[in-house]
Amino acid sequence: MMYIKNFRKLNSVLLLSALLMFAGMGTGQAKIDGLEGVTTFNFTAKAGHITTGEGNTVLFWGYADDGGHQGSLSGQAQYPGPTIIINAGESITINLTNHLPQATSMLFPGADVVNATGNIAGTLTMEAAFANGTAQYQVTYNQPGTYTYYSGTNMDLQVEMGLVGAIVVRSGTAGQAYDSADSSYDYETLFLLTDMDPVIHDLVEFGRFDEIDLTKRNAVYWFINGRNGPDTLLDPFVSWLPTQPYNSLPRIRPCENLLLRLVGGGLDGHPFHTHGNNINVIAKDARLLSTDGATADLAFSDFTQSVYPGETYDALFTWTGANMGWDYYGHATEDVETMTACEQQVEADFGPGASSHGLPIPVTLPAISELTFSPFYSGSPYLGGGSFLPPGEGGFNQNGGFYYMWHSHNEKELTNWDIFPGGMLTFLIIEPPSVTIE
Amino acid sequence: MRHHRAFSIISILALLFCLGVMPAWAEFSVQCPPDVDGIDTDGDGDVNNDHVCVHLSSGDGFIKMADGRDSYIFGFASHRLANSDPVVFQPEPGESRPPAESIGLPTSEGGLNLGATFPAPTIEVREGQKLYLTLSNVGMLMRPDLFDPHTVHYHGFPNVASIFDGLPDSAISINMGFSLTYFYNLVEPGTFMYHCHVEATEHMQMGMLGNIYVRPMQDLTDGTDLGYPSYAYNDGDGTTGYHVAKPLQIHSFDPNFHDANELVQPLPFALMHDRYPMFNGRGYPDTLNPDNIANQELYEAQLMDSIIEVPQGERVLLRLSSLATVDFYTVASPSIPMTVVGQGARILRTAGETDGVQDLFYTTHSVTLGGGEAKDILLDTTDIPEGTYFIYTTNLNNLSNDQEDYGGMMTEIVVQAAAL
Repeated sequence: MMYIKNFRKLNSVLLLSALLMFAGMGTGQAKIDGLEGVTTFNFTAKAGHITTGEGNTVLFWGYADDGGHQGSLSGQAQYPGPTIIINAGESITINLTNHLPQATSMLFPGADVVNATGNIAGTLTMEAAFANGTAQYQVTYNQPGTYTYYSGTNMDLQVEMGLVGAIVVRSGTAGQAYDSADSSYDYETLFLLTDMDPVIHDLVEFGRFDEIDLTKRNAVYWFINGRNGPDTLLDPFVSWLPTQPYNSLPRIRPCENLLLRLVGGGLDGHPFHTHGNNINVIAKDARLLSTDGATADLAFSDFTQSVYPGETYDALFTWTGANMGWDYYGHATEDVETMTACEQQVEADFGPGASSHGLPIPVTLPAISELTFSPFYSGSPYLGGGSFLPPGEGGFNQNGGFYYMWHSHNEKELTNWDIFPGGMLTFLIIEPPSVTIE
Repeated sequence: MRHHRAFSIISILALLFCLGVMPAWAEFSVQCPPDVDGIDTDGDGDVNNDHVCVHLSSGDGFIKMADGRDSYIFGFASHRLANSDPVVFQPEPGESRPPAESIGLPTSEGGLNLGATFPAPTIEVREGQKLYLTLSNVGMLMRPDLFDPHTVHYHGFPNVASIFDGLPDSAISINMGFSLTYFYNLVEPGTFMYHCHVEATEHMQMGMLGNIYVRPMQDLTDGTDLGYPSYAYNDGDGTTGYHVAKPLQIHSFDPNFHDANELVQPLPFALMHDRYPMFNGRGYPDTLNPDNIANQELYEAQLMDSIIEVPQGERVLLRLSSLATVDFYTVASPSIPMTVVGQGARILRTAGETDGVQDLFYTTHSVTLGGGEAKDILLDTTDIPEGTYFIYTTNLNNLSNDQEDYGGMMTEIVVQAAAL
């Protein structure tokens, strides 16, 4: 019996390694990829193709960063556009070249100063004419927060086509989203939400512009940072998604604070639900929810935040496991010395016993033959745990973390053009304290 | 609808053939241990009554839409240890029930015979209680080709462990013929919701949706000092006080999706377009029917009305939530102002804390909810004359039951003579 068990364990390990290699997963992180430490950008608006979650290929229009900077795809149109990360008070210059079949431009809602020059005086801003036209935008953001930029020309089509991106403006204090201690965080992540009707993209690809009617638009793809589920879980910059560099798989440990920067980048609203715990929404459209500018006294808590097009929200998320009623490490009562820093903090914040340290899980779980398993199930209900699972089950949870789906709760949006599952979904991982997070 | 009937009979025959062996391997069990810790966690002074239990089955069935159409659903139903027990029952004090007692599911009321109800049974519990929620997967009679597991996702439960999150994509789901008991230590009052999360787009569109809410401890401790018999949250000052509570859950069905599921056809995910907007599983005027509604099998599958009756001068707490799977809905109370005092199962104060420095309550006549959103809304009838008032969606094309106009997502508030 022992022999067989060991054999199975070896098999699982081999399988796990193979799966991880195959999937390119395993270096989950909690940071925002983008262009950082740069203030002059040479962008080209041009066409490219994305791969959707179920394997389709769709034409899109995107911004390409021609500067060869880390954090974007050099010379390659990307979906969404490059994330720009700057400091409050900084000015940036974007030199835009247009390789699209129609004029285009860029808008910077919420910026304090925008000086635009270009070939054409458009309705909303100066535009770059088609066939290698150019425009230049000098933009200053004096206030920290989460912003979005997008096309200001033929916007319904061009934003649908993918000309949208995010701008993160940092406060003067490291680890604070705003000039307020109420915005302190340990890690941060950016979720730019978009939606897409591929029929429009096909018409563009075939040059049948006369037949495009945005009033008949019917989105069937939903994205976080330009990827459909389950591609959202892959590493950033994987080679087989050459135009979709950004992932969304944040990880934190118990009691840590994650800053979630939500951006409505598409044409529809999405009710975004965070499994695991409520979020505390501290800012909207890059302004602290505050009466005095110093404290987030207008912050509110919710388990689903609807994000409508053009909006941004900043929210704090933490997971303490407080008052669970059982010890999520599976400690025995006598293991008092093994209380983690987070458990100690919970005891201090919520009173003695709030960590439930040493309490057994109150129910008996069904036998493994009675259950269906997630690939992200470690085999154990305990954080950092693991156990035998039937062959082929589990294997995608390296550290025995707790996985929580973060997704659109208009559940139709969990599909990729008629294929379930997919769409606007990803996971947050609560990792055991011993795990290193970038 | 004739073909539906024929189809049911064929399916049932097929199923009887296929599932003739089910009792031999099905092993349903309920875990509902008595409270023996000697600590009074729910604050009512009794140290032995903090455990509460719910037993749900998950399967399929039919409901009657407000225009008379029969709609195939997936859904939950309530099973009690004894028929007289409520949805939420308590283990006998001092009872030494084994931790995993095997039970037979009564076939006379749901389970194994198209027993799903819509919405799922409403679960009302109290802060401080410990909830043992058992889900028994009885299988889907009309779809013997499916072997779907099911879960209960307690939507919004704070600091949930992933094992009890009901998310099949992160942990476990229970197979047909077996039971899984979830455990929840109820420390946060508020308006939550629950649903199956397996193949969520399908199982939720098909109807595995229900109300769950947790009443605050403030209801027990000197509540009358703050002026009301009940409170939405532990507000400390009575500002969330109310006399009458009504859970109101937004639902919406696409009949093409339900028919395709019943007829074992490819499911139209991309074409999903809801045409039956509802409150609590019924379109108007069925929202006003105080009785259970029987389906084509004469089984009472719709157990919940949406009528709100309140004596003039008193306050209603509307526990409004949405488990629609496609659209946002705006819900209006045009005559009686709505004061929003909570959302996301937290009081609407700074950071959702009861001691938050700012009250963020606001008064309005409409609120907009996407799927998975919940709001606690007070309707104060102090200045409202006796009479009948309406709550309805202002997405006005949704005031219909498919082809039939004058229906859909609407219900009434009846302001009665003031209590003496």
